Amino acid sequence: MKGQRVLVSGMGSELGSLVAVQLESEPWVGSLVGIDVDPPRRRLRTAEFHLLQPSQRERIVDVVTKFNPHVVINLSVWEPDARAGLEHARRFTADATTAVIGAAAECPALEAMVVRSGVEVYGRGHRSITRPTETSPLQPTSEYGHMLANIERSAREVGRRIGISVGKLRLAPVLGKHVPSPLGRLLRQPMVPFSLLADAPFAVIEAGDAAAAFVRAAAQRLDEPVNIVAPGAITALQAILRGKRVPLPLVGPEWRVAARLSHMSGAPIPDHVVELMHRGRLADGGKARELLKFTPRLTTPEVIDHLYAWESVVRIGAIKEVA
Amino acid sequence: MAQILEFPRAAVSRAGNALAEPLRSMWPVHSVDDYGRDPHLVAALGPLARVRWGVTVGGAEHLPKRGGALLVCNSRRWALSNVWAAWALSEAIDRPVRFVGRPDVAPVGAFMRRIGGLLDSPAEVQGALRNHELVLVSAEPTAHPRNAGPVPHLLVGAAVVAGAPVFPVATMSSPMGRAARAEVGPQVRPRRKRRGPLAEVELAEQIQHHIQRILDGFGGMQTGVAPFDWLAEG
Repeated sequence: MKGQRVLVSGMGSELGSLVAVQLESEPWVGSLVGIDVDPPRRRLRTAEFHLLQPSQRERIVDVVTKFNPHVVINLSVWEPDARAGLEHARRFTADATTAVIGAAAECPALEAMVVRSGVEVYGRGHRSITRPTETSPLQPTSEYGHMLANIERSAREVGRRIGISVGKLRLAPVLGKHVPSPLGRLLRQPMVPFSLLADAPFAVIEAGDAAAAFVRAAAQRLDEPVNIVAPGAITALQAILRGKRVPLPLVGPEWRVAARLSHMSGAPIPDHVVELMHRGRLADGGKARELLKFTPRLTTPEVIDHLYAWESVVRIGAIKEVA
Repeated sequence: MAQILEFPRAAVSRAGNALAEPLRSMWPVHSVDDYGRDPHLVAALGPLARVRWGVTVGGAEHLPKRGGALLVCNSRRWALSNVWAAWALSEAIDRPVRFVGRPDVAPVGAFMRRIGGLLDSPAEVQGALRNHELVLVSAEPTAHPRNAGPVPHLLVGAAVVAGAPVFPVATMSSPMGRAARAEVGPQVRPRRKRRGPLAEVELAEQIQHHIQRILDGFGGMQTGVAPFDWLAEG
């Protein structure tokens, strides 16, 4: 299996850059090409990168078909209020999905595709189970959940039509040093709202662990959905107390006001994060252990501790002439 | 030179921390488990539970040291048998026992999840059993404490599919006194091998009979008021 050509869509993101770094050291990877709207955030030794907008479909198709990859890893997903607002996130994700998955389908050498999804696809409707497994029905109840379900649907359709394996990694909320995450941003605010009546538990995954899962899924030609979740769980109040932040208990209607204020202070709260605060977000990660032999390095409480251990923005004063 | 207007982050943090400090010392920093059960909260509520129920646990040696298992108990109406039996068994075997039957409405459902409650859904029970958890479900509640009600076969089906052993747990508590008892019976094995849904239906009936047999062995009703107990013996 040596000398495989791998395409990473979304290589400019923190997760994409980490995946690219890990792929470069994999013995089975022959050449690596990445596309994204931003340049990679890591120094890459052998990867070739193309700076392309999701709307440049012709160019994306051209780059992808010329490279003719064996494996495509699609990480081009814009979480609402992470790097773009809801409207833009929705459009960018739809454009990128159409262009990348469509282009990949035109490649004769293509054997496998691994797409990024999230545990948001299960939804948190009334009486939805506490820890959904991969066989649980997809009933998204947030915008982000619907976006991810659409990606899965597109990838599944293409896989069926051209007969390739399609792995879907359903990630818990990804937190990491440079990961733009609305949840991470909210938890790092000096005063953090939480649902007093529910204070529901949730699980997360560290960006490096998520990247390792993508590399394993690509190497093993994963052909089914798998939840990628760090062991353990934490509630919002517990996270806030661990981070020595000020907890702001909210009951219901004042969430709208809190969300507005939080938006003004630089941490918008999209609907899937509000849902997480009220209804929790857990998932069963047992299948990843079985199929991918993958165990995250960090547990959920450890990821939260790391979140609070990161340095805040250090402002450097203006340079003064001394002579 | 224009100055950037900044949110007074440090001042807010200082003020907030001063307010939150008593709460922090009262509530140590920890986390919940994979299903949202908070072992610290359960331990903190232990003394309160002991005020209401003085539970005697028997037969705990039947339960596996590791691995998942489904426990089925009888239930008297309004007795919260699944809650106190799960708590007492957890203490007896030093392993969390989750009970089935939490509502999905805050704040009651959220609180019950923190003390180990699961939804009464076969998918939820199956997921927990696959993750090697001990899960306690209750039979349909009855008015008489010495009668075991029908066992929900759909929940037993989750154990059949997950390949988890099933144990009967007979419970008896007094509506007025503290006395309560939870007796775990040996594993119930299906009499016949079935390939279809009859497996769980027959197993559920067997479990009900096992619980009833243990309850019959308990003796009379325990209300704490002797004349009532004598009458109930008839």
